[in-house]
Amino acid sequence: MDSRKKILIVDDNQDIRLGMQVRLKANQYDTFFAADAVSGVAEVLKHLPDLIILDLGLPGGDGFTVMERLNKIPTLAVIPIIVVSARDVIGNQKRAYEAGAKAFLQKPVNDAELLAVIRQSLAEAEETKKFTLRDEGSV
Amino acid sequence: MKEKTLQVLVVEDNAGDVRLLREMFSGEKVGNFEITHLLRMSEAEVYLAKGGVDITLLDMGLPDAHGLDTVRRAHAAAPDIPLIILTGLDDEALAAEAMTQGAQDYLIKGQIESRALPRALRHAIDRHRMQAATDLIRTHQMEFKDEFLSHVSHELRSPLTAVRQFVSILLDGLAGELNPEQRQYLEIVLRNVKQLHSMINDLFEVSGVQAGKLKIELQCTSVADAIAYTINTLQGAAASKGIIMLPSDIERKLPSVCADPARVRQILIILVDNAIKFTPQNGTVKIRARICEEHADFLLLEVSDSGCGIDPNLTERIFERLFQASDPALADHSGLGLGLFICKDLVTRQGGQIWAHSEPGKGSVFSLTFPIFSLPKLLAPVFSEERQTEHPVTLVVTKIGSQTGWLSNEVRADQCRGIRELLRGCLYSNLDVLLPKMDSAGPSELFFIVAITDGIGGGAICERIRKQLDSSERLRQAGLTHSTYYRSLGVIKRNATEPKEDFLETVAARIQELMNEEASSKQVRSG
Repeated sequence: MDSRKKILIVDDNQDIRLGMQVRLKANQYDTFFAADAVSGVAEVLKHLPDLIILDLGLPGGDGFTVMERLNKIPTLAVIPIIVVSARDVIGNQKRAYEAGAKAFLQKPVNDAELLAVIRQSLAEAEETKKFTLRDEGSV
Repeated sequence: MKEKTLQVLVVEDNAGDVRLLREMFSGEKVGNFEITHLLRMSEAEVYLAKGGVDITLLDMGLPDAHGLDTVRRAHAAAPDIPLIILTGLDDEALAAEAMTQGAQDYLIKGQIESRALPRALRHAIDRHRMQAATDLIRTHQMEFKDEFLSHVSHELRSPLTAVRQFVSILLDGLAGELNPEQRQYLEIVLRNVKQLHSMINDLFEVSGVQAGKLKIELQCTSVADAIAYTINTLQGAAASKGIIMLPSDIERKLPSVCADPARVRQILIILVDNAIKFTPQNGTVKIRARICEEHADFLLLEVSDSGCGIDPNLTERIFERLFQASDPALADHSGLGLGLFICKDLVTRQGGQIWAHSEPGKGSVFSLTFPIFSLPKLLAPVFSEERQTEHPVTLVVTKIGSQTGWLSNEVRADQCRGIRELLRGCLYSNLDVLLPKMDSAGPSELFFIVAITDGIGGGAICERIRKQLDSSERLRQAGLTHSTYYRSLGVIKRNATEPKEDFLETVAARIQELMNEEASSKQVRSG
C-alpha cells in the first residue's frame, strides 16, 4: 500500500503554494494545487487527496463555498480540511469550524504548527476510517 | 425662502402654563409654529411615535409620569426629536440631570423671556440636527477606519506568510546546507518577521478597542468551555515547542460566570499564548479554575508557566499600554506591548481583576477573576427597599426568531446587541432589570425583563417593546420576527423576619422556573 499521503493546497498566492509544497515534500507528502474555488473542487475529485489545505479568499467563490460543495458529497465530506487564511480569526474561525474544518490557522502560519496539525488530522482520519471499516465488517 | 412650519408638541397638565407658552408665540408670524398641546404622557407617547413633531416641550410632573421617567419615556418614544424640559425653580437640579437622559435643554417656568422662546426652540432644533449630522459622519468614519484596517492587515499578512515560509525553509536546510553566518542572518530575518506579525495583530486589535468594537455583552458564561476552546486553539503552537498544556485542578462543578464568552476566550488566548511564548522547549503551561477563596462571589482563573518569569518590580507595569520588556533575551517575543493591556481592559470591564505573580527563573502565574453568575444578585435592584411592593412582579418575555425557524449563532450575536439596547430603553424604572442572556439553545433568542408594575403595567411595557421592535429597520432587514408578552408573578413581599438573601434566593428560583418554561416552549406566540 502506498503510504505517502496526498495533500491538496488551494491558495491563490503562487509563492505561498510553492513554500508549502517545499515544506510538505520535505515531510514526505505528495502535493497538488488549485488557485481558485472552482478548480479546487475539481482537483479534489481528480486526486481524492487525504487532506486539503484551504485558503478563504479565493477567486471564483471563497473557501466556504469550496467546503459547502465538498460537504454535499459524502465521500469527499470526510476529507479533513485545514483552513489557512489571512482573514480575521473573529467570525471566520467559528464559521470554518461550523463548515467542518479541522483547524483554522491564521497567516502567517508557523510551519511546525501546520505540520503538527496535518499529522494530527491525518491520524484522526485514519482512526475514523478503521472504525468505519470495522463497523461495516461486523454487520 | 418660506420657512417650514415647525411642529411643537407641548406636554403640560397645567392650563395656565400652557396659556403663557402660547402667548409667547403670539409675536411670531402665523405659519412659523404650530403648537399641539397634550396633557398626559401616554397620549404624548402615541403622538410622538406617529412622527412629524419637530420639538417637544415637556413638563416633568404629569398625571401619569413623574421626574426623569417623563424624559426617558419621551426620549424612548422619539429618540430623534429634540426635547426641552419645562421645570420649576426648585427642580433645576433634576432638570440638569434630565439632560443626561436625552433632553437637549431646560427652561425654568416663570423665567422664560417671551420673545426668546421661539428663538430658543429654533436653536435647539438646529443644534440637534447638527449633532445628528456629526454623529453620522463620525459613525461613517469609524466604519471606514475599521474596514480599512481590516483590509490592510489582511493584505499585509499574505506577503508576510511567504517571507516566513521561505526563511524557515532555508533555515531548516531544505534548500541545502547553510554556513553559520548565513544561518545567523536568516534567524535575524525570522525574528523580525515574527515581530511584524504580532504588531499587525495588535494594531488590528486595538483599532477594534477604540472603535468600541470590543463591546462586552455580559451573560451566563461557562469558563470550562472557554478553557477547552483555548487549549484546542493553541494545541498546535504548544506541541511545536514540545510544551505540555493542561487544564489542572479544575473543579468538577465550576459555576458559570457573568461575562462575555467571546471576551473570556480572547483573554485566555492572549495569556496562554504568552505563556507558551515565554516557556522554553518541553516546559509546562497550566490553566486552573476554582472559586476564589477570599471572595466567594468570584471565580479565580490561573495561567501558569515554567518560563523565564518576570522581574517582580515589573509585575504591575506589564499591564500598561505599550509596555515593552527591556530584557534583550526577550526581544524576539515583543510585539507592540498591547496584549496584556487589552487583557486588563477586558477583565476590568467585566467586573474582575487581573494580576501577575512571578519570580525570575521560576515561571509566572497570571491570575484573573470573574464575578460568578447569580440570579438573586441580578434581581436585587427590583426588590430594593425604595420600591413599592404593592404592585405585582412581572416577567416580560421577548422572543426573537427568524422566518426560517432557526437563528444561527452568528445572527444572534450580531442582532442581539442592538435589541438589548432597544429593550433597555423601554424600561420604566432604573430599578427594573433586563436580565443578561441565559442560554443560547432553542429555536429563538429570549430576552427577559423583571419589573414591578401597576395593574396595566405589564401590558404597557409589552406594547412599548412591540412598537419599538416593529419600527426596527435592522430586524426587518435581517428577516427576524418578534413577539413580546408577560407573565405575572403576583405581589411578592418580603416579610420582616426573612433575611434578604433567602428572600431573593426564593424569588430567583421562581423566576428561573418560569424562564425555563419559556425556554423549553417551542411555540412562538404571536403578537
